[in-house]
Amino acid sequence: MPDPDLPTQSFEHVPPTEIQLTEGHAVTRLKAHLTAGYRARIAGESTQAERSARWLDLPDDLPVSLANALRARGRARLYSHQREAWELARANRHLVVATPTASGKTLCYNLPVLDAVLSRGGKALYLFPTKALAQDQAAELMELSHAVQAAGGSGVKAFTFDGDTPGDARKAVRTRGDVVLSNPDMLHQAILPHHTKWAQFFEGLAYIVVDELHTYRGVFGSHVANVFRRLRRVCRFYGVEPTFLFASATIANPGELAERLCGGPVAVIAESGAPQGERHLLLWNPPVINPDLGIRASARSQTTRIARTAAKLGLKSIVFARSRLMVEVITKYLKDVFDRDPRKPPRVLAYRGGYLPSERRRAEQTMRAGAVDLVVTTSALELGVDIGSLDVAVLNGYPGTVAATWQRLGRAGRRLRPSLGVLIATSDPLDQYMVRHPEFFLGASPEHARIHPDQLLILMDHVRCAAFELPFRDGETFGAEDVDEMLSYLRDEGLLQHQGDRWFWVADSYPANAVSLRSVAEGNFVVIDTTGGAQTVIAEVDYSSAPGTLYEGAIYMIQSQPYQVERLDWAGRKAFVTRTRADYYTDAIDYTRLKILARFDGRTQGRGATAQGEVHLVRRYPGYKKIRYYSHDNIGYGDIDLPDQEMHTTAVWWQVESTALESVLPDRQKAIDGFLGAAYALHHVAALRAMAEIHDLGRSVGDGQGTWFAVVGAEGRGQIRGLDNAPLDAPPGQRFEPTLFLYDNYPGGVGLSDPLYDDAPRLVADARDLVAGCGCTAGCPACVGPVLRADEELAITPRQAALKVLELLCGAAPDANGAGRSG
Amino acid sequence: MMARMKLRDRLQRLRGSGPGPREAEGGDIALADRPSLAERLRRASIGRGRTALAQEPRSAVLAEAVGAIEIAPGVLCLERWLAERQRHGEVSIGAPAPARGRLIDPGWINSPCRHEPGVESGRAPRPIAVDADLVCLDTETSGLAGGTGTWAFVTGFLRGAGGGWRLRQYLLTRLDAESAYLATIASELEGAALLVSYNGLSFDIPLLATRFRLAGQADPLPALPHLDLLRPVRRAYGRVWPDCRLASVERRLLGFQRRDDLPGSEAPAAWLAWLRGGAVAPLNGVLRHNRWDLLSLAALVPRLAEVFGDPAGFDADVRAVAAYHKAQGRSEQALRLLHAERQRLDPAGLLDLARLHRRRGDWDQARAIWEQLTAAGDAEARAELAKYHEHRTGDLQRALAFAVDLPPGPLKERRCARLSAKLLKRDRLPGAA
Repeated sequence: MPDPDLPTQSFEHVPPTEIQLTEGHAVTRLKAHLTAGYRARIAGESTQAERSARWLDLPDDLPVSLANALRARGRARLYSHQREAWELARANRHLVVATPTASGKTLCYNLPVLDAVLSRGGKALYLFPTKALAQDQAAELMELSHAVQAAGGSGVKAFTFDGDTPGDARKAVRTRGDVVLSNPDMLHQAILPHHTKWAQFFEGLAYIVVDELHTYRGVFGSHVANVFRRLRRVCRFYGVEPTFLFASATIANPGELAERLCGGPVAVIAESGAPQGERHLLLWNPPVINPDLGIRASARSQTTRIARTAAKLGLKSIVFARSRLMVEVITKYLKDVFDRDPRKPPRVLAYRGGYLPSERRRAEQTMRAGAVDLVVTTSALELGVDIGSLDVAVLNGYPGTVAATWQRLGRAGRRLRPSLGVLIATSDPLDQYMVRHPEFFLGASPEHARIHPDQLLILMDHVRCAAFELPFRDGETFGAEDVDEMLSYLRDEGLLQHQGDRWFWVADSYPANAVSLRSVAEGNFVVIDTTGGAQTVIAEVDYSSAPGTLYEGAIYMIQSQPYQVERLDWAGRKAFVTRTRADYYTDAIDYTRLKILARFDGRTQGRGATAQGEVHLVRRYPGYKKIRYYSHDNIGYGDIDLPDQEMHTTAVWWQVESTALESVLPDRQKAIDGFLGAAYALHHVAALRAMAEIHDLGRSVGDGQGTWFAVVGAEGRGQIRGLDNAPLDAPPGQRFEPTLFLYDNYPGGVGLSDPLYDDAPRLVADARDLVAGCGCTAGCPACVGPVLRADEELAITPRQAALKVLELLCGAAPDANGAGRSG
Repeated sequence: MMARMKLRDRLQRLRGSGPGPREAEGGDIALADRPSLAERLRRASIGRGRTALAQEPRSAVLAEAVGAIEIAPGVLCLERWLAERQRHGEVSIGAPAPARGRLIDPGWINSPCRHEPGVESGRAPRPIAVDADLVCLDTETSGLAGGTGTWAFVTGFLRGAGGGWRLRQYLLTRLDAESAYLATIASELEGAALLVSYNGLSFDIPLLATRFRLAGQADPLPALPHLDLLRPVRRAYGRVWPDCRLASVERRLLGFQRRDDLPGSEAPAAWLAWLRGGAVAPLNGVLRHNRWDLLSLAALVPRLAEVFGDPAGFDADVRAVAAYHKAQGRSEQALRLLHAERQRLDPAGLLDLARLHRRRGDWDQARAIWEQLTAAGDAEARAELAKYHEHRTGDLQRALAFAVDLPPGPLKERRCARLSAKLLKRDRLPGAA
């Protein structure tokens, strides 16, 4: 097998001179080089023409000092969308600005806010999903404020308010801040439960600015919609009705999302008046290196190569990887090329979640200063953290959504210069589907950001918090559920008392502390470095990713420095690590067992049935693999000893009539292989069609009663496991009724399984087409998951088995030659 | 057919705390409907019926049991008159005769500006006599977490009236009566010259401010000068006692030992027991606890004045008290206190004393202390002696002798270099010995 990642291997054998001969900007030359040299790998391309600016005059009713401050900063005119935002905001209309990255969205809200402060003594609350963004914006507001003062106006006091704000400074923020920049978590835990201390602020509150609207989706968005319900309740108490100003990256439904968050009609500003440089995009499919197995060169090897070429052309690039682990692996490979001399400042930098804030701040400064040539990151840099201008964005794998893809691509070309984006497909079905149907991606509208604020657990959490903040009155509404019933429940729990027409909080507790907006589960883990005897906290890992990354024996990487986890204190939420020189990394194995609790709905389809309902899920991490760098050989296994993760959630499931299954796939091993392959394909198609990210959904094959489930064993074959994960020869019991589950991967469910159920016939048909149309022989990572070489010799390949299952589910006549059709 | 699920069951199930997954019969999964809104509304109205059925706790019963009167629906007032020389532990409350007319240390008092941004700041508090119209205030609350969901369900006042003391405790017995309750509290504060509390600036006052704000009523508290006794107590005893809780303070300073006290931490449960089931006895305990708190406040005002006049006599931190007097511009008093205690002072206290001597030009006294400390190895005193000889006696040799033994560091280096240079220069000067 070729060894595509070895750094010693010279780059693509293209002499540097050849690259430089091409005319034009380095970005154009890089694109020309890639398209000329690797035609076969380019599955699609697009170019967005340069766009010129549409200017409008500053509004006449702008305060003079503010207008002069803008002129002094070289902004004598506004982009058309900024002017549009001004008019709407001044008319107290809720609005959302959904124009591209770097189009001047900030001014859209800063102008009306500064006007309100300067001319009417109004106040504004700014909310950002992260502390770092709030700090960036505070700095920008201070600059504007100084310019206003220089132009003869009064100053504007802008303060950040977050967990780091010292106790003695908080009072000044509350009583003296014109603009308070915070995050939804602080609003939830510190501001609303103490709203009386903020009375002055609330009484003057004119605008609520919510930037990075697109991040308020899923669980987080559902929580925040409820926090805003509480915020509006508190505002009504102080007799104010502030106007919401949202700013969003591109999503399909900014207006709808904003309306669900703020509970009123929202005007959408989508037409940008900002100029934009020419933007090139290449969809890149790694070359097939083993046509029999359908194995392609790794996306990682292609990513590092393109990043290397770009750096050699003097371009600055950002590389997006889909996991923290991949960020560290790619960083290591690039550092092995560019940062071999420890005396020189590093040219490669990793930036991802889990680093400590101080380390991230330092990285941001380094990036802004233009001191690095290659930034490797996860979704952490999708948000508007200011990192200066970049030329090339390389995406290692499809980020999972069209919206996230454009956000990441938008990181390159922030100035009026041409930019290049390269989206490199991995062997995942989703990626392969995309590069085989480039029109799907290039023509697709971005996804809908969905929230489910009336999810019962989330809603209950916030009714509890709201009741603490202000007593509910009989007949008051809060969300879609019946408030009186929820309040009665809380009364029975001993938290409330009903007296007169009001429900009063009487318990000795502070409910907001028990509710985290970011997850349904609680408690981050800290990673503690014990090398050399000292104990230093070096990273934080959220609860849900802890079992898969911090098990004892795991290699945990930071800036590609490997640490080994020596001890995991699960209850104390601590992982103790030491520095190591391991030449391998680790990857956890997990499996999931499901039990159906209640069936809400069901129907027959084809020779089977589809249903949806509630399930109980147990996830276990039995062990991990050790994988050697560069060769990616599996060099060993280790055991993981962790408590099971339990969850109740919603799911959609498929079953096949046992007689029909037996006639098509009489061999139970084959049937299991077929279900596992079908699950693999369905999971990926569902993520694509339901506009969710792949990890928002989970898949499982079992009997639905928790007595057995199937996994792909270490030898690549479907295996039946019993209650304690022990392999079974055959499923217990008389009936053999394998069930294929797709479940909502959040406790309680966040509304992902409803659309899957509604769309089930189409999903199954899509999955069948994906498997039938794949170019491989027996099955591959692009259709039913990786298969063994020996499987090609089988009478019924895993791919054929999956196809038979999917055809039964579709109701189409089984096609004897199904798997033989060419794609 | 599976039973329709109640909200409670749905929640328990989602949280994974409910009854375990149902065993499916023969592998068939029964179809369960989501509970309809109408169904859940019906249940909700049943739920509400239950509240009406449960006997509402009757304030009249409570009033009789604790000896209070119901002054408004849901607001009880317990009033007692105490003699001027009411005993409390080893002392009696209020000012003893010799303290009559003496002013309360103005350094203890927070003028209104400190906790009300609206009031003009920087004004010195006007002098207030120990026997002036003080109002001691203490609340009992439904929790310690703070925030808008915490109630002050008992507010007690103790103030001098007509040669005796009038104690009034207001108790909120119905949640919807808070408006009347707060209005009564506001009127109780009329004419007060000074509010006295224990940790009130951090706890009781902000809590009441929240309640007034929620009720939409003007808050009279920020306009009053405030004496939070925790602050002088911390100053005098913070480094001497293991804790400064009021119960510890009254035991140590007033000789008062509570018997069968209901701890403040149990007050929330006591109030809830009343609200939910009409339990009376625990509230009696809360009221008694609150009365003891108030008596201790009144007794502590004159007692703390004595402590600050004679810290050693009350086992207080003499150095901290002296430092306080000095900061208040009473250096003479500070000097007197330290000097009287000089045999028992630690090095830091002795250095303070030496500094006070030096300030008034009493160099011999200061030098004696520095020499005593230097002999015991104190580096700071050694540095003082080096300075003293360099600048005061001009004996550069001796100054250098002290300086070379200073702990290593830039300060020592600079001092030694400077002294050496001075010595060199003096030796070279014509006419020098």
